[in-house]
Amino acid sequence: MNYSFLMIVSLALGLATGFIMHRSDFCMAGMFRDFFLFREKFMLRMLALAAVASMALFEAAREAGLLPYPFPLFASPSLANLVGGAFFGVGMVLAGGCVAGTLYKMGSGSLLSAIAFVGLVTGSALYAEIHPWWEGFVRATTFFTGKVTIPQMIGIGPAPVAMTVVAGGVLLFRRWGRGGKMERRSRAEGYLQPWKAALLLALIGLLSVLITGMPLGITTAYAKMGACLENALFPAHLAGLAYFQTIPLDYTSPLGNTRLVGGPGCRFDAVAAVQFPLVFGIVAGGTLSSLLLGEFRVYFRIPTRQCLSALAGGTIMGMAARMAPACNVWHLLGGLPILAGQSVLFLAGLFAGAWLGGRILVKWVARY
Amino acid sequence: MTAMGDDNPREIELDLRGQICPSTLLRALKEMNCRRQELKDGRVKLVIKTNNRDSTTTIPDTAVNMGYEASVAKEGDYYRIVVEGAGDGAGRGA
Repeated sequence: MNYSFLMIVSLALGLATGFIMHRSDFCMAGMFRDFFLFREKFMLRMLALAAVASMALFEAAREAGLLPYPFPLFASPSLANLVGGAFFGVGMVLAGGCVAGTLYKMGSGSLLSAIAFVGLVTGSALYAEIHPWWEGFVRATTFFTGKVTIPQMIGIGPAPVAMTVVAGGVLLFRRWGRGGKMERRSRAEGYLQPWKAALLLALIGLLSVLITGMPLGITTAYAKMGACLENALFPAHLAGLAYFQTIPLDYTSPLGNTRLVGGPGCRFDAVAAVQFPLVFGIVAGGTLSSLLLGEFRVYFRIPTRQCLSALAGGTIMGMAARMAPACNVWHLLGGLPILAGQSVLFLAGLFAGAWLGGRILVKWVARY
Repeated sequence: MTAMGDDNPREIELDLRGQICPSTLLRALKEMNCRRQELKDGRVKLVIKTNNRDSTTTIPDTAVNMGYEASVAKEGDYYRIVVEGAGDGAGRGA
């Protein structure tokens, strides 16, 4: 099986994502956190734009017969999506960035994000310890069994729902645009207006779906890293963990007709081929952007409290990404645009978690 | 109120480079609130060093909303944000 094409594509998409996110400060953790801490809605508008643009692009591709619908790995909703989303929200705020934000910030020299990255890998591996129990919870709380998206649940085609949401979105964005709410003046060098970033990220998501058959996702790669680390340290224990034996992905990609098979275990498979280059690309994109601006620099004088917060936040987020399952990028720019029930619940949980994370941050971490 | 300030207000430097988001804004807010009178009188000015690109927008916007003046300059690999009292009490952007 030849994955080299997929790997090159994923690397390129990752590079572009990291670069764009760094230039536009497209920090999704910040979007939710600042909504609660400072009543700042600007970046949430940008996230809405990215989601609605993705919806329009995915729906057009689906109509053209280029898209698997729904995407692989999405399942029927359960309470696990809500609870996982809430833990994820707490984790990303304490870590100072989501799973993608942590990568591009680490790439631009952030020590705290590097610590959060260690936490992400640790948390993803820790999840394997509770996997059998958590699977039971997922099974017990799944509803609309056999149905993945909201249109499927209410028994209508995806087209009318998508067209209605997109039309409403266009009207809203135009109104905000006229009111000057879609742009902001930045004094940062090389700043990319976030509305442009939102549209570019939607385009990157479309390319990912067309080529790999899946929206952007990176968190199974974290579990894989954790598994490999554990394999080196405690191989006997790892062999007994059911989670690392699972193969959730088994699917044929739309372009190239490649059969993609993979899971969180420590081996080279389709998940590794798609996600490792993406992870590396996002880090490298952040590095490239900051180097070109002359802003790459590692600062070591950071309060211990903040380092602990990044480690704890990363660990919680890593674990939550397996519980949810999947991360904010997967759900908000992949699942939400096709109105996957899982992603809607994840978003609801994320709001609650970000609120709580903000409270903890102000009270314990950035206490002035 | 004494309108006049020193020609050279005392600088309060906050070096927040490398710190977790949004501690730069939180710390700046704290200082802007606690030193309101000194800032307005022109006795002090805040000098914030940050490498957080987002802070170059959020801090000046917040400062201007609170009636201060703010300016941003890039100094090598970080940004230097200066917040001081606007002479006439009306905020002006950088």
